[in-house]
Amino acid sequence: MRPLILTLLLCFALPAWAELDYRLEPRQIAEDTWLLEGSTDNFAQANGGNIVNIGFIVTGAGVVVIDTGPSRRYGEALRQAIARVTDKPVERVLLTHHHPDHVLGNQAFTDVPIQALAGTTELLRQQGNAMADNMYRLVGDWMRGTEVVLPGETVEPGVLEVGGHRLRLLGLGGHTGADLAILDETTGVLFAGDLVFYQRALTTPNSPGLDVWLDDLKTLEQLPWTLIVPGHGPVARNDAPFAQMRDYLGWLDSVMRQGAQKGADMNELMQVPIPERFAGVSLTRYELIRSVSHLYPRYAAERLRRVDR
Amino acid sequence: MDMRSLLLLALLGLSGHLPAEGKDPLQSAMWDFYHRRLLEGAPVVFDQRVRLEVPPFAEDARQVPIHIDASALDGEVVKIIAWAELNPIPHIFTFHPGPRLRPLLAIRIRVEQATPIRAAVLTRDGVWHVASARVDAAGGGCTAPSVVRAQEGWEDHLGQVLGGRFPRGEFDRLRLEVSHPMDNGLVGGIPEFYLDQAELRAADGSVLGRLELFPAVSENPSLTFEVRGDEPTRLWLRDNSGNEFEADF
Repeated sequence: MRPLILTLLLCFALPAWAELDYRLEPRQIAEDTWLLEGSTDNFAQANGGNIVNIGFIVTGAGVVVIDTGPSRRYGEALRQAIARVTDKPVERVLLTHHHPDHVLGNQAFTDVPIQALAGTTELLRQQGNAMADNMYRLVGDWMRGTEVVLPGETVEPGVLEVGGHRLRLLGLGGHTGADLAILDETTGVLFAGDLVFYQRALTTPNSPGLDVWLDDLKTLEQLPWTLIVPGHGPVARNDAPFAQMRDYLGWLDSVMRQGAQKGADMNELMQVPIPERFAGVSLTRYELIRSVSHLYPRYAAERLRRVDR
Repeated sequence: MDMRSLLLLALLGLSGHLPAEGKDPLQSAMWDFYHRRLLEGAPVVFDQRVRLEVPPFAEDARQVPIHIDASALDGEVVKIIAWAELNPIPHIFTFHPGPRLRPLLAIRIRVEQATPIRAAVLTRDGVWHVASARVDAAGGGCTAPSVVRAQEGWEDHLGQVLGGRFPRGEFDRLRLEVSHPMDNGLVGGIPEFYLDQAELRAADGSVLGRLELFPAVSENPSLTFEVRGDEPTRLWLRDNSGNEFEADF
């Protein structure tokens, strides 16, 4: 009986194991600069949570890794992918923000400094385990062995010189309250983190407000960038991602402002038509439902007043 | 389903003026149980004229918005019961809208896991018209620590009501948010403490509609009603500790 069970287990289990390979292929996007571009889909068993853009810069002093991906398995694959590109050791990790798709690969980098804004570390401390649990639910086995590793070091906004690259670190907050954007002044590459989504609907679970986000976009756009790496979606050499972000944030804001004026309920706003011009942006309906949950209570409360006696 | 309701359904089906469908569209294992427990086994039709709107997934399992509109059955509605089938506390509310209230209610609820949600509308002829929806969820909404109680001085805000009145043609929409922890007894040794009664009253004190609430309702309950005309309306609330609150719209 037992061999039979074992055989059956192997039959079902082996193909599943064999598929858990992220097949990361770094693509060079500028001098010394590499990108691992994720899909613009949602978290799913099929993609293992690889929906995110991860970058690294091969400096004279070692490799600066920007974000670590959605799982321990991804972090390990990222490390191997870096080793295929360069012999240089990893010098440090910079985390753009605390969301799970950007930081749950940290376990593969515990031998190097993992750095983030102070606010990012605090948010990860508060929310990391719950976010990791949800990732297990959404992408399943890919997450096996993944645990939250908090950044060991705090970075301050300012200029960071590493191995011949001059990195300008900006401490912003429109997406999560603590968002690090990194402009490599040496190459002109702007790692915008999730302050910029392109062709993929933006997410708002920790956003302090869409107005804050719009201000951050203004700050980023004025920088001397030549290439934008969004947190999600394709890279761009023009300002199309900024234009789309402003348009989309403006639309989201007007949906909720007008909804609050009319006394709309959440479910009514979750069903509003998505403008045709966002047809090329993935997951708009899904993210609208989420954003209404996150943000509408604030808009609605502004239209209510104390009426108790 | 018992023989009697089957027969009744068959008769209704033959008479042809009800979009009767005898089978649970969600095929939930718990349907029969709640049909007996909350609807007392009375005749039921799954009726698309009852609109039940829920998001396909709960972004926040502690605050899941549901919107029920039985206007298509206006004039016939006796009461509306809503429940979340796989919740530890399934019953959400029982609503008795009077003739001047629209049979419409929006409210936010807690879900402990992915669950079918039902809205059952009893009409004068003794038939329950049921709408069904499913909400996916990471869960934990019923057993999550209280957000209200984590705020210092929350007791000072107990029973405060934020409200707004939004004219919408024949009806005015009333939206309100009540400060109350709505403790459901499932969290860390905190006993049940929740708003269990609400009434909307006209200026002369007459009752426009009555609402029984259960602690599947979220903390700081958020409610939407629609009332005919623009007369001043008063909301009366009571919790299970006997605290009473009133607000004017």
